[in-house]
Amino acid sequence: MFSLFIALLINGIAIGLLYALMAFGLSIIKGLLNIPNFAHGAFFAIGAYICYGALNAGLPFFVALLLSFAVPALVGVAVERLGLSRLMRESYLYQLLFLFAVALVLEQLLLIIFGTVGLSVNPPESLAGAFNLGFTYVPKYLVLNGVVAALTIVAVWLLIERTRLGARIRAGIDKPDMARCLGVNVNRLLVLGFALGTGLAGFAGGLALPLLGASPTIGSDMLATAFVVLVIGGLGSIYGAILAGLLVGIIQCVATLWVPAASTVLIYVAMVLTLIVRPQGLLGER
Amino acid sequence: MNKVVNPLRRSLLKAGTATMGMSMAGIAWGQGRDALTMGVLSQQTGTYAYAGQLVLNGAKLAIEERNGEILGQKINLIVRDDEGKPAVGVRRLSEAIGSDKLRYFGGNFSSAVGLAEAEVAQREKVIQYAAGGSEDFTGSRCNDYMFQWSAHGYTALRTTLEYVKQTMPDKKRIYTITADYAFGHSLLRYAKVAAQELGMELVGNDNHPLGERQFTQYLTKALSTRPDIICLLTAGADAVAATRQLFSFGAKNIQVVGPWSLEVDQLRELSPQMRDGLILGLNYYQDIDTPVNKAFVERYMKAHKSVPSYAAAYGYDSFRTMLLAMEQAKSTEVEAVRKAMEGMKYDSIFGPISIDPRTHQTLRPYYVVKCKAQADMKNENDYATIVAEGSKPQPAELNECKRSV
Repeated sequence: MFSLFIALLINGIAIGLLYALMAFGLSIIKGLLNIPNFAHGAFFAIGAYICYGALNAGLPFFVALLLSFAVPALVGVAVERLGLSRLMRESYLYQLLFLFAVALVLEQLLLIIFGTVGLSVNPPESLAGAFNLGFTYVPKYLVLNGVVAALTIVAVWLLIERTRLGARIRAGIDKPDMARCLGVNVNRLLVLGFALGTGLAGFAGGLALPLLGASPTIGSDMLATAFVVLVIGGLGSIYGAILAGLLVGIIQCVATLWVPAASTVLIYVAMVLTLIVRPQGLLGER
Repeated sequence: MNKVVNPLRRSLLKAGTATMGMSMAGIAWGQGRDALTMGVLSQQTGTYAYAGQLVLNGAKLAIEERNGEILGQKINLIVRDDEGKPAVGVRRLSEAIGSDKLRYFGGNFSSAVGLAEAEVAQREKVIQYAAGGSEDFTGSRCNDYMFQWSAHGYTALRTTLEYVKQTMPDKKRIYTITADYAFGHSLLRYAKVAAQELGMELVGNDNHPLGERQFTQYLTKALSTRPDIICLLTAGADAVAATRQLFSFGAKNIQVVGPWSLEVDQLRELSPQMRDGLILGLNYYQDIDTPVNKAFVERYMKAHKSVPSYAAAYGYDSFRTMLLAMEQAKSTEVEAVRKAMEGMKYDSIFGPISIDPRTHQTLRPYYVVKCKAQADMKNENDYATIVAEGSKPQPAELNECKRSV
């Protein structure tokens, strides 16, 4: 039983890091633009489809992954410049509605371009199969998922905490008016921040492609989980999403030991408990 | 005496006569001239969204075969989206019965929706030819007006596991992953019955919520019990996700069996390596070798440029059978047709079969296919070979239908 627990824990951490990656992007956007990105799931889906397209065209896997970051990031730039920034002066509600509409349009575009049939790719040859731990197996690709997600999170953390650009992003989140006074181009930061967030969502989609496939609904499936992670982590904290993502992944997997039918419900229960006991989330302060 | 008739009275007389004349013509027109309304109520959104259009394709073919009419009466085919939700299905059905005079319907795939609609069918006395894996259709919730087209869960499990036992006698330990609702529970029940009959062992089971996309944790747990067989008692997009993720485990010596799981439409969504070697139980496969099916496949391919699958075959065969029953009963009245369907013997896409008069279960074969490697596929639709067929019906002592004929 204990060894199975460890295997499920490993499983949970790997899945959790994927959730964390996606929710990290969501929390950056929430932090910088103070808006929940309802289109986040659609960007995840774009990343998955771009990765599929790139692999189908014969491109190497890591190039496909880079594209699954870059293309959603570029789309994010367009969305921010053409829509969000203009609605910034209007009410908050218009921004929310706009993102909602963007989500629908993007998902329908994917449906039109790729059709309703889901798509699958095999994990790269070098990562086929599983590690035989003796008591059970852990897929090699799942482990890679976790490792790459973790490295990406660390890289983005370093960007935010240890670079000048990151400092400006943090300033833009904490005190946008003061940042403007100090000559920081906050508008450009907002575009960058939004693109970073959507890029991370797309990257998560591409990374998960061999496991989750690409289908028109894959975005909305993941969006719910991403928001749960965001809430548990704390709406005001950028890094809360990372911790919460891990927690959600672990809960979902380890719960399979005792209540398999409820493993997904439990993450919502965790969200409700968080809202009741600690509404600012695990690491939230605001 | 005033010989000039009051003009108002004359107008009234004219109007009155005209109205009576028209209404009599209307009555004469109405008798036997009203179109017969048949309906496809199916999913356009949700887990089984792919099926809705396919069922309609099949039903249309069955109606077109008869030039859109039966016994001299025009057939009015209506389509309604039940969104995969029982409440919506019930609502659409009630509306169609009321405003469109719907008398015969089918089309749904989800057992939950079908069973909910069956209650309306019973109450409103309209005939439903249902599909869906739950045994309740011909078991505890059987009723006078609802018929079941799909094979019984017992038949499916028995036929599939029997093939596995015969071809892989060393593989005895089965781990099941089950969709947590009526359909999955039925399959699990009969997996236990069939396994016991065949001397195989169920070493564990996990229920997963409907709509689940994350299966690696269930598979990790399953593999820790060292099974010989992983049995997927789940269907639709959930089964696709499970199969895709199972592939990433690379567990080569474990046989994956889906006794009522992936259909041809879902096999398309998997890479050839992911589906290579899968053993699937199917209600329908395009290679079924009967005259009716061969003709159906040819017409379907001509009309839709793709091979028909379970959903399309269900739409076609269920509507074709209802129309055959009307022909036999020499009537389109519901009471006469349902009596004709009870015990009816007829030729179908499965060959000569019959309908059980008491449980309303269509007694028909179930097919086992083995999926091919990419190199062995003759064309893009050649996913699998039919390797076995069986029609052992549910043991009578396990049936819970309380109807008497």
